[in-house]
Amino acid sequence: MQPCSREMQAMNSLLNPTQQIPLQDLQSNGNSNAHQQIQNPQFDPTSPHDDFLEQMLSTLPSCSWSDLKSPWDPPKSDETGPPNPDNNVGFHYDEILASKLRQHQINGGGGSSSAAAAMKMMMQQQMMLEGRATAAAGAGGGGGFTMPLSLGSGAAGSHQNDNIVDGSSFKSPNHQGGDGSVQALCNSFGAGSLHGTNQSSNQFQHFHHPQGGNMQAQNFGVTAGTVMNQSQASGSTTGGTPAQPKQRVRARRGQATDPHSIAERLRRERIAERMKALQELVPNANKTDKASMLDEIIDYVKFLQLQVKGGGDCIQTSANGKQTSSPNDSLTVTEHQVAKLMEEDMGSAMQYLQGKGLCLMPISLATAISTATCHSRNPMINNANPNNGNSNHLLLQSSGEGPSSPSMSVLTVQSATVGNGAIDGSVKDATSVSKP
Amino acid sequence: MSPMNNPQDLNPSSLKSRFTTRFLRALTKINGQKPISSSSPREMFQRYRRIKVAADKSMAWSVRSRRTWSRAMLWKLRSRYSCRQASSSRRSSVRTSTIIKSRQAKTSHEKENKNTTTGQDEVGFVVQADKLRKLVPGGEAMDLCNLLGETAHYIKCLTTQVQVMRKIAHFYSL
Repeated sequence: MQPCSREMQAMNSLLNPTQQIPLQDLQSNGNSNAHQQIQNPQFDPTSPHDDFLEQMLSTLPSCSWSDLKSPWDPPKSDETGPPNPDNNVGFHYDEILASKLRQHQINGGGGSSSAAAAMKMMMQQQMMLEGRATAAAGAGGGGGFTMPLSLGSGAAGSHQNDNIVDGSSFKSPNHQGGDGSVQALCNSFGAGSLHGTNQSSNQFQHFHHPQGGNMQAQNFGVTAGTVMNQSQASGSTTGGTPAQPKQRVRARRGQATDPHSIAERLRRERIAERMKALQELVPNANKTDKASMLDEIIDYVKFLQLQVKGGGDCIQTSANGKQTSSPNDSLTVTEHQVAKLMEEDMGSAMQYLQGKGLCLMPISLATAISTATCHSRNPMINNANPNNGNSNHLLLQSSGEGPSSPSMSVLTVQSATVGNGAIDGSVKDATSVSKP
Repeated sequence: MSPMNNPQDLNPSSLKSRFTTRFLRALTKINGQKPISSSSPREMFQRYRRIKVAADKSMAWSVRSRRTWSRAMLWKLRSRYSCRQASSSRRSSVRTSTIIKSRQAKTSHEKENKNTTTGQDEVGFVVQADKLRKLVPGGEAMDLCNLLGETAHYIKCLTTQVQVMRKIAHFYSL
């Protein structure tokens, strides 16, 4: 830690004149300038490691150094509370630092691990000290990212973690204690991931809404969970290193593909809701697989279109041939239609029949049934010659079922439970169906 | 079954009642247009077609362009009608089919691009989505999400159509 302080002082002395003025400006004017400060191009994101450190060090306000220095000297353990006007400012700096740190970590900077860890400690402490800093929403994500990273970072930092935690417990009135604050952080991460809105004045919630996305918040939750374990298991350095690459990967994935993944997820959710709505409309909705559900939907739409056609035909015949109308005519029409459909697609022919409340069955079975039940109901029997010229009877019998998978030899007659009930009885001779 | 439609569609602005009124109007017009006694299969077929067209048109009008499929259907009907009036039927059908095919090609091209960018888990739906697009009028120009919504509304309208037509047919046959 001591080399850090030395470096800091050196950097400060070097860069003071150029960069302290905007800092003072920031302090005086508050949030708006803080935003400007954040967007200030003096932060070069592609700077190498040393420059990065310099920038971090230089942008901190000189007056806040005294506050920040205290946690670094464990024996001191001051009780100086953070200056409130600095909170927002410091918070912004933290975010800047956090974003830089994140890049740094992603770039795999391992050189100044001690300095980086110290920076992280400072940031972490600053974040914990923050009150209701709602201003820097945009950079809050960056801060939030590195928060778990910093908390979980490396062998060098674990014992310092505890120091920081203990040190920060004195600082902010919002704390419930060191571990408690960490816990609050992790809890709020989890809570924020669920809600994702910046409604309450929870001090940690501003970490969540930038860059949207439950995924990012989930990353937070996961990483915060791992972080919590680490911080609570005090002095456990082993927990730090294996978790760190995991956190890094997660953070990177969440950050790099965020807008696309969010859009993807939204799209998928919308599609899922529409599928659910369709499932309720379509009768055979017991399929859980999306592909089969789509097949079912397609079949049902085809079936309905056929029904409309058939209904039109019915109206046509009944309106047309009212004088000469007899069940035979409608049957003939139906037969024609079925034959036509059978040419192109057997399934649609079946569906057409079922739309009319009819089904196909072999003649032998039909005659058996008709003789068995002819006293109560007389089923209509149409004999038609299919293509092969066999004398297969086709029985058109009404059934109360909806669309089901068609099969020529399966009988779906439910003569006892026929919904319509009114079945005319007329046995025709074998007529050849003319195919137009 | 009571032939009266009224007790069930008391709401005068419901889809069912709107469709019923329009459809009945179209039917009476068709009945008035041609003599009933024609029984040659060709003319019967034409009448079937006309009735079907009337049903579609009345359904689309009752939905009144609030939905993509109704707009597409109305556009198709209008273009077919105008083309038929302007030139011979063969040319018009070719023209409309080329128009539709060009639209299809464009949208399929767009779809391909979109599909390559979207995730892998949705590739299996493309085949079925294409089938659905062919079934639902105007479905070629929609993405999957809107297509599913349109399909839901279309299914509802088709069921209404079927119910009304069945009732009318039953009423007529009594």
